[in-house]
Amino acid sequence: MRRNQSMALAIGLALVAAGAAHAAPPDWSKVPAKQITVFYPGASPMEWITKGSEHGGARALRKGETCAGCHEEEVADMGAKMASGQKLEPTPIAGKAAAIPVSVQAANDGENLYLRFQWKQPGSAGGAKGDPENQVKLAMMLEDNKIEFASLGGCWATCHQESRTMPDAKDDKKTKYVVDGSVDGGKYFDLLQWRSSGKPVDGHVAEARVMEGGSALLSADGQKEGDSWTVVFTRKLTGGKGDVALQSGKTYNFGFAIHDDHAIGRFHHVSLGYTIGIDAKADINAAKQ
Amino acid sequence: MAGSEKTTREAGRLTRLWRWLRRPSGTITVLTLLVTGFASGIIFWGGFNTVVEATNTFEFCISCHEMRDNVYVEYKETIHYSNRTGVRALCSDCHVPKDWTHKMIRKVKASRELYGKVMGTIDTPEKFEAQRLRLARNEWARMKASDSRECRNCHGFDGMDTEVQKPRAKRAHEMAQRDGDTCIDCHKGIAHKKPEGMTDEDEE
Repeated sequence: MRRNQSMALAIGLALVAAGAAHAAPPDWSKVPAKQITVFYPGASPMEWITKGSEHGGARALRKGETCAGCHEEEVADMGAKMASGQKLEPTPIAGKAAAIPVSVQAANDGENLYLRFQWKQPGSAGGAKGDPENQVKLAMMLEDNKIEFASLGGCWATCHQESRTMPDAKDDKKTKYVVDGSVDGGKYFDLLQWRSSGKPVDGHVAEARVMEGGSALLSADGQKEGDSWTVVFTRKLTGGKGDVALQSGKTYNFGFAIHDDHAIGRFHHVSLGYTIGIDAKADINAAKQ
Repeated sequence: MAGSEKTTREAGRLTRLWRWLRRPSGTITVLTLLVTGFASGIIFWGGFNTVVEATNTFEFCISCHEMRDNVYVEYKETIHYSNRTGVRALCSDCHVPKDWTHKMIRKVKASRELYGKVMGTIDTPEKFEAQRLRLARNEWARMKASDSRECRNCHGFDGMDTEVQKPRAKRAHEMAQRDGDTCIDCHKGIAHKKPEGMTDEDEE
């Protein structure tokens, strides 16, 4: 019995290794880069985003406007307001970076999706290390156009006022979730995360955040050269439960976040919601190489 | 008996006065009458307008501590008080119509505020906060009903170049034009704090 289990494990590992070995990253110098600035969001959960008396843009959202449509060019200014505590941040961290410009590239080879993120490490604010194990983490989420708010606000569809580290949070275990989220019902985000300490995450966010169970991620590698980080995800276009199966010609909602400077929870830098297209026109086009 | 005589006497006086007023003048020239009437009209009208305009001044508005200690303090922090070009919108620019008819209607309605002043309806910061949402809703409704007429004394879509606005403002103004929205739909709280307790309906 034990031998059978060991053999099955060995075969499984071999298959994963073979898949990863088979995956040939594209020539990144030929892949166009999209510049996306991630910014410090303070405490701006979707409950705040959608409350008209607090956020004037709630009106535009109700009419179908995206967050990026209004804010894309001013995210660094927004980040500065929140990082300094001028707005939506009851506990500002002195020296916290307001925003991080990131170069994002994507490509596919018919089997796998490749995503490369590059950014310059901002200065450290020092202070308490929320996540002592990881100096940096980069998480990205994909969504298959089933969650209405994901098309407007990307990852904000999972960000709520009662989540842990939020000012009014009462439950330290409460993490991201999607309202009426369900993997079986298709209302979920596929979640991938690279961690500077090593072990990547392939999970999802539906009724709750699950940091395991995905079978699409082949590798997530990151390295720092000088003061710049480069992180590359290699992900199968297909996937299992909790993964978004990506098809050529389709677009998907996409967003990402960087937990810089040992940050945890909401103290990250986030992108607005974007779209990624597999051989399809989108904010980021993962064209076949 | 005595009362009846008095009433009859007074009626007689009124009748005589009326007859005198209707009798052609035998001694004053028509020119004198015209000039006197014209001059009196100017003085009366000018005086009336001066008094009305005096109630539109900044000094008048903040002569009451209810305004000076609450909304005025907030307004001083906004772009309608201090800005790059030095154009300032006074209280009356937003809260009193410019054209005569609507101005007079507003002034008559505003006379109710004297009752509030006497009764001390908002004479402490706490009382003001308790009434702020109700008062704001009154003003929002008035502005909505007039298609933000007072905003449009200075601002207008026909003179607005959205291309030079920030993307956020550009989108919002283009959507507002498309959907026939009016200024106050989006710009509540532009010159004062938004009241506590606003609902989603207030933002509709």
